[in-house]
Amino acid sequence: MFNTGKVLATGGVSMIDGAGGGGITPWATITGYATRDGINGDLHYTYAPLANYTLHSVGAAVGFWDRFELSYAHSTLTTGSTFDTVGLVADTAGGLTGQLAGTPINTGIEPFNTTIEMDIIGAKVRVFGEAIYDSDNLIPQVAIGGFYKKNKNDELLTTLKAAKTKDWEAYISATKIFFPINTLINITARYTAANQTGLVGFGGPSDEDKEIRPEISLAYLLRKDTVIGVEWAKHGDNLEGESVEIAGLNLTELQPTLETLGLGNLSGTLTQHESDWFDAFIAYFPNKNLSMTFAYAMLGDITITPDQHGFYLSLQASF
Amino acid sequence: MKPIFRTIAIAILAGTAALPSFAQTGKTPTLPGLDSDVIEQWGGEEGVRNWVESLFYYIMLDNRINHIFREFGNIERQIFLNTQLEMMVLGAGTEYQGASMAAAHADLGITVTQFNAVVEAAYNACERVNLTYEACNQLIAALAPLERVIVTR
Repeated sequence: MFNTGKVLATGGVSMIDGAGGGGITPWATITGYATRDGINGDLHYTYAPLANYTLHSVGAAVGFWDRFELSYAHSTLTTGSTFDTVGLVADTAGGLTGQLAGTPINTGIEPFNTTIEMDIIGAKVRVFGEAIYDSDNLIPQVAIGGFYKKNKNDELLTTLKAAKTKDWEAYISATKIFFPINTLINITARYTAANQTGLVGFGGPSDEDKEIRPEISLAYLLRKDTVIGVEWAKHGDNLEGESVEIAGLNLTELQPTLETLGLGNLSGTLTQHESDWFDAFIAYFPNKNLSMTFAYAMLGDITITPDQHGFYLSLQASF
Repeated sequence: MKPIFRTIAIAILAGTAALPSFAQTGKTPTLPGLDSDVIEQWGGEEGVRNWVESLFYYIMLDNRINHIFREFGNIERQIFLNTQLEMMVLGAGTEYQGASMAAAHADLGITVTQFNAVVEAAYNACERVNLTYEACNQLIAALAPLERVIVTR
């Protein structure tokens, strides 16, 4: 039953949602080293210290008969001082507007180091195709899968105007290796309403419908144990241009109040944006029990902070 | 029946009958195609033969698969025929005189796990004879479609 028969590196690595794939995109490959003859699983830990946030993702996944995959991941996003301004404004505005006086405003923002947590369960089934050995046709390996994501920060997500804290998303992935040019291509279409993969909830004040977003991974096989590549994932705009909301008040409505306090420039810095995600990676597979992925992640605007770029490290242990 | 239809009918029947033992007779039509200088990259027939010898060295050291090849016997002849096969799939125009890969493996119940073990031996052999990883992948691409006929379980 237990099997580790796949060729080195062909199980892929663990993406941040826990599924087998690249770093930010699920692939059509089934995680682990099991062929159709058995079962294999892996654990992963991913660490991405960005300018204003640090993402930790820890999870486990099991691949069954190179056909079916189950995964679980727990994401923790520490936000450092990112939302301290919002917290400050909330306190100030609460005191000044009077209508909120005496009512504690719960923004979901801690005095220090507000932390966003999310649980993700995923499943994937390989539908048809052979990513590796069908070098004489262009039919890719195709898999469909889904995630159920539960963000635990209800209050902060209300402050950030997300419509939902938990939601599902579905995807279809096509993966193919082209050995004559040492290249792997994966194309994924994800049907989702996520803001920043769900770390900032799902949907926004005016739109909570899911949409199809493309994701692409391009990898060059440098050696049998080393792969380099780039990834791109389209992100949504549910919260684009939105301010934050405090106790039912849109902060832009507080603009006059803030200006009398000499805090007028705050409303600009409290406007949210979301960017597509990019990364460039090198993955090293010293053996079938361990892989190390080093990447530079360019995640752009995240909520109210721009230029969230930084290094990314992911370790995967397979058994 | 007009001669032309009879010819077509015979061709179809013969083709159907030949299907179970379908044999590749030339360069593997990979997509994208193999490098035009792939035989030179491989060091010609001698280079390919050196690689096949290394391949069998690693295969015979691998307890997951060595018994399969040992059962065939006559490793020297297997190396000789494999060199022909490799030259053929790389497009050297060599004639392969052995049994088709489908016929040779039909009764062995080869698993994809065992096939992958040979692929791992193939990469080890490439390193052993100092072929670049890129040149190695040319042959991997040329042999890969055989997985469909060799793996029967």
